[in-house]
Amino acid sequence: MAPRILLGLLGLAVVAWIGNKAGQDMRIFWIVTLNGLTLAALFFVVAAGFTLIFGLMRVVNMAHGSLYLLAGYIAFTLQGNWYGVSSNLLSGTPATVVSWIVPLVIATIVIGLAGVFMQQVFLRWNQGQDLRQALITIAISVILADQMVAHFGGIAESIQQPAVWPDSVSFLGIRYGFFRLVVVVGAAVVIGALLFLAIKRTRFGMIIRAGVDDRAMVSALGVNIQLVFAGAFFIGALLAGLAGVLGGTMIAVQPGNDSAFLLDSLIVVIIGGMGSLGGAAIGSVALGLVNSYADVYLKFGTNDFTNYAILLTFILVVAVLAVRPLGLFGRPA
Amino acid sequence: MSVARSATPPAAGLNGRGMRITRWVAIGALVLFLAGAPSIVDSFTLAQILTKALWLGIAAASLIFLSSYGGMISLGQTGIYAVAGFTMANLVNAAGGKHLGWDPVAATAAGIVVATVFGVLCGAIASRSYGIYFLMITLAISVIVFYFFAQVTTLSGYGGIRSVTSPGLIGNPILNPVPLYYVALVASVLIFLGIRYLARTPFGLALQGIRDDPARMQALGYNVPLHRALAFGVGAFVASIAGILSVWYTTQISPGGINVTQTINILIIAVVGGLYRLEGAWIGALVFSTIDNYSRVWMPNVGDWLGPDRFETIIGVIFLVIVLASPGGLVGIWESLWDRRKRRLAPISAPGIPAMEVVDDAVDHPAAV
Amino acid sequence: MHRNQRHLGSRRLLAFAALSLFVLAACNGNSTTTTSSAIKIGILSDCLGDFGSFYNDDLGGALAVLNAHYGGKASGSLPKDGMTGVKIAGKDVQIVGFGCSDSTASKAIEETRRLVEQLGADILIGPLSGDEGIAVANYAKTQPNKTFLNGISGAQDATLKVQAPNFFRFNPDGAQWSSGLGDYAYNTLGWRTAAVIGDDYAFPYTSLAGFIAEFCSIGGNVTNRIWPPLGTTDYSSFITQIPKGLDGLFVGVGGAGLITFLKQYQQLNGPLNTKHIMGNTFWPDPQLLKAIGTPMVGAVAASGIAADDTSPQTIAYKQELAIYPATQADAASVFTLGYWSAMTALGLALTKVNGDLSGGQKALQAALASTVVDGPYGKISLDSNRQAVFDNWIVQITAPAAGSQVPGIHTILQVPKVDQTFGGFFSSTTPPPDRTNPTCTKKTPPPWVGHETPVSFS
Repeated sequence: MAPRILLGLLGLAVVAWIGNKAGQDMRIFWIVTLNGLTLAALFFVVAAGFTLIFGLMRVVNMAHGSLYLLAGYIAFTLQGNWYGVSSNLLSGTPATVVSWIVPLVIATIVIGLAGVFMQQVFLRWNQGQDLRQALITIAISVILADQMVAHFGGIAESIQQPAVWPDSVSFLGIRYGFFRLVVVVGAAVVIGALLFLAIKRTRFGMIIRAGVDDRAMVSALGVNIQLVFAGAFFIGALLAGLAGVLGGTMIAVQPGNDSAFLLDSLIVVIIGGMGSLGGAAIGSVALGLVNSYADVYLKFGTNDFTNYAILLTFILVVAVLAVRPLGLFGRPA
Repeated sequence: MSVARSATPPAAGLNGRGMRITRWVAIGALVLFLAGAPSIVDSFTLAQILTKALWLGIAAASLIFLSSYGGMISLGQTGIYAVAGFTMANLVNAAGGKHLGWDPVAATAAGIVVATVFGVLCGAIASRSYGIYFLMITLAISVIVFYFFAQVTTLSGYGGIRSVTSPGLIGNPILNPVPLYYVALVASVLIFLGIRYLARTPFGLALQGIRDDPARMQALGYNVPLHRALAFGVGAFVASIAGILSVWYTTQISPGGINVTQTINILIIAVVGGLYRLEGAWIGALVFSTIDNYSRVWMPNVGDWLGPDRFETIIGVIFLVIVLASPGGLVGIWESLWDRRKRRLAPISAPGIPAMEVVDDAVDHPAAV
Repeated sequence: MHRNQRHLGSRRLLAFAALSLFVLAACNGNSTTTTSSAIKIGILSDCLGDFGSFYNDDLGGALAVLNAHYGGKASGSLPKDGMTGVKIAGKDVQIVGFGCSDSTASKAIEETRRLVEQLGADILIGPLSGDEGIAVANYAKTQPNKTFLNGISGAQDATLKVQAPNFFRFNPDGAQWSSGLGDYAYNTLGWRTAAVIGDDYAFPYTSLAGFIAEFCSIGGNVTNRIWPPLGTTDYSSFITQIPKGLDGLFVGVGGAGLITFLKQYQQLNGPLNTKHIMGNTFWPDPQLLKAIGTPMVGAVAASGIAADDTSPQTIAYKQELAIYPATQADAASVFTLGYWSAMTALGLALTKVNGDLSGGQKALQAALASTVVDGPYGKISLDSNRQAVFDNWIVQITAPAAGSQVPGIHTILQVPKVDQTFGGFFSSTTPPPDRTNPTCTKKTPPPWVGHETPVSFS
C-alpha cells in the first residue's frame, strides 16, 4: 500500500507544480496541454492496434512501428504520383480532400492486408510461442526499416492536408493547428468509440473478449478462431496504417519514426496494461502529457532540467511497474 | 519438458573412440588457430573480425546465459554494457566526459562493479516479469541508458567520449591489435568456463529449475525473484566485460554505439548463433562481424533492394531465416545434422531436441506472482 | 542433468568453430596488400543512418573530378558503381573501395580501417559527419604515412583541437558556415535580442556557435538556447518555449527535423516572418528546399554555396558533375561540394609532386598544405591547422521560378576569407561548442564584419 500512497502524493505534487506554472502563463499552459493531448490521440490510434493484437493473440508485434511508417510512405507516394501533390507545405498542387482521403484509405487497407499476410505466413504456424513470434516480427522490422531507407530516402517528407482545411484555428486567445486538434483528436475519439462499441456490443467483440480470457474454450465452442485471429490482425495493422497517415500529415514521414512509435506504443501499453483498450487510452494521455509538460516545465528556479525531460517518460514506466507489474489495467493471462 | 533434454546415452565402442579423436583434433585445431591467430591472419582481420567477434560474443553470451539457464530473453544487455563502458571512460583520461584521470585498471574494476550493481537493481525490477513482459522491460532499460548518456552532457552527450586511455597492457589497439586480441580471448575462455561451472553449482541448478517450472520451485521454498535477480546480476557482470572490451577496441564510446539498433544486433547475434548454447554466442558474433565487413565488399547491387550499403537487410534476412527454420540457431542446425549422422551410425539415441520448448515452458507462466 | 548432452554439443561445436575459422583465414589471404605502383584512394561516406541518403552525392562529387580531369570512366550510372582508368601525373590511380558508415564514430573508424588497412588505400577521402570527422582525424595520427582529406564533416575540433599533421580539410566547419549572419541580423535586420534553437548534438552546437560568436561580438544578446533531443518527432513543446518579444530566432534544426519544425512553427505562429527568423546552412540545401518549399521564401540563410552564381568556375563545376545526372540534380548540395573540393585538391597536389608517394607521403602532404582550390564559389586555401579559409555567402530564398515547385536562391552578400577562429573567438583552448558555450560576450568582431560585399548574380 505504501508505494501507492507515495505515488498518490507524487501525483498531487506534480499537479500542484503544473498548476503553479500554469498560473504564470495560461497561454503557454493551454498550448502545452494541447500538444500533449494531440500527441496522445496519435499514440492512442497506434497503440490501440498494438494492444488489440496482443490482447487476443499474445503476439507482441514488434513490426507495428514499421507498419506505421510504411503506411506514411505509401500515402505520401500515392499523393505525389496520382495527384501530383508535392511534399511542399504550400507550393505545388494543393491537396484536396479527395487527394488526401484516397491515399489514406488505400494505404490503410494495404497495411491491414500486409498485417494479415504477416500473420498468415510467419506467425500462424507457431502460435503460442510468443517469444519466437516477437523475434520474427523484430526480424521483419529490421528488414523493413532498411528497405524503406533504400526506397524512400533519408529526408523527412510530409503528407499534405487538404488545402481547404485551415492551417490553424484560434480560440481563447491562442492559435493551434487545425489538423492536430480537430482531425487527429477527432479520429482518435471516433476510433476509440467504435472499438469500444465493437468489443462490447458485437458478436466479433464478444468472441474477442472471450478469446482474451480463454482461447482454448472459444475454439472448443466451435468458433473459427483462426478467422478471428486474422480479423484481429487485420484491424490491428489497419490502425497502425491509419495512424501512419495521420502522423505523416500531422508531423512528418521519416526514417526512425518506426522505432520511435514502436517504443511509444510499448510504453503506452506497459503503462495502461497490455491488451486493455481503456488502458491504452489512459497510457496515451499519460505519455503525451508527461512528454509535453516535462519538455517545458521541468525548471526549478534557475535549474533547467528540460534537457532530461525524455528520461522522465521512462521514470513514469518504472514507477507504474513498481506498483502494478502488469500495468494499470493489465490482468494476468 | 526437461525430459526431452535428458542425457543422451554415450555412443558405444569404436564409434565412441572415433568421436573422442575427432573431439581432440577439433579442440587442438581450435586452440592452435586461436592462439596463433596473430601470426596467421593480418592485423586488420585480427582486430576487426576476430577481436570484434570475441567482445560481441561476450555480450551475446551474457544474453544466452540468461536465456539458456534462466529462461529470460533480455534486451537489456546493451544498456548494461554501456553503463560499464561509460563508467570506465568517465574515470580515466579521455576527450569528453569527466576525464577524472584514474588508473585504467582501477577504472575498469569500477566500471564492472557499477554495471553489475546496476544489473542487480534492474534484475530486481524485471525479475517478477516473464517472457514477453521481461523482453519489453529489459528493452526499456537499454533505451533509458541510451537517453541518459545522450542527454547528460557532463557524462557523455551524443558525441560520446573519445581517446579513452587503455591500460598499458593493451596499449593502442590500432597500432598493435595483438594484446587486446589475447585479452579478449582469455576473457572469452574464462567466461565460457565460468558460466559452465556456475551452471553446475546449486545456484545454477536452482536457476535451471526455475527456468523449467518457477511455480514448483517457489513451492519448494526457493526465492524465485531473488534467484532471477541474481542471475541477471551475473549476466550484467559478463556484459560489463564486453562493455569494457568494446571501449578498448574502439578507444571511444558514444550513445550512437549503444542505441536500439545495437540492442537488436546483440539479440540477432545470440539468436543466429543459438539461444540455448553458450558456444552460439561467439559463433553468431563471428558470422555477424564477418558479414558486416565483407558484405560491404562483395554484395552486388540489385536495384534498390540489395547492395554493399544494405547490410541491415542482409543480416535481417539471415535473422528471419534462422528464427523461422532453426530456433536453436546455427548451433541447432549443426546439432540436428550431427544427430542425423549419428542416428545412421548408432541406431539407439535420443530424439532431436526442439530447443524452443525450454523457453515456451517459461512463458506458459507469465505471471506466476 | 543434461551434462553429457552438453559435452557432445561442445565437441560438435568446437569442430564447427575450428572449421569456420579456417575458412575465414583462407578468405583473408587474398584480401590484402597486393603490391603495385598504383596510387590507391579510398572514399568514405555514410550509406546508413541520418545521412545515408547523401551517399551518392558524396561519392559523385569526388569521382566527377577524376572523370573530368584524369581520364576516369564511370562503371555505371551511379557513383557507387565505381570508376576505372584514372591516371594522375602518369600514375595509375585505383579507387580501392567506398566506405559505408552510419554517422557514428565507431563505424567510421571500422570503415576507415577497412579501406586503409585491409584494402591498402594510400589516401582516404572522408568522412561525412562531425563525430566521424574527429574520430578519423585522431586515427590519422596513428597512420602518419597515409594522407587523409576530409569529406564534408564539419566539427570544429577535427582540425582546431586534434591538429593531425596529415588530415586536411578543404571545407569549412559548422561555425564558419554561419559566418556573416550575426552581422546581417544585427546591422541589416536590426536584431538586438535573439533565441537560438537546434538539435541537441555537436553539429548544431557548432553551427549556432558561429552565429552566437558573431552576433554577440557586435553587441547582440542571445537570451535563450533551446535544444530538442536528436530524433524529436514533435517540436511543438520546444517552439512553445521560444519567448515572445525577441527580435529574432536563429534556427539550426537540421536535416530531417526541419520540415517538422517549420510545419509546427507555422501552426503555432502563422507564416514565417522572414525579418525575424533565419536559418543555418541546411536551409538552402536543394533536397530540403524541394521537400519544404515556399514557407521559407524570403528567409535569409548562410551557405558555402552561391547557387545562382554564373561565373566560369561555377559553370565548369556543374559540367563536371553532369557525368552523374543523379548528383547534377543536386549540384548545389554542400555534400557534393565538400567531396569535390577534397578530390580537386588531391589531384592538384598529386600532379605537383608527380604522383610521388615515397618517403611517407611527406611531399604530397606539403603540397596539399599549400594547395589553393579555385572552387565554384570562391578560392579555398588552408590555415596552419590545415583547415579551409573560404568565402561564405548570405543567400535569400526566392519564390519558385515559373513551372517549378522548388524555390530558388538569390545570393546577396559575399563574406570574404572566413577562418575557423572567427578572429580569435575560437582557439585550441576554448571549450568546444556545447549547450552553453560559447558564452555571449561583446569583443572584437571577426575581421569580415562590415566587409561583406554585396553581390547580385542574376
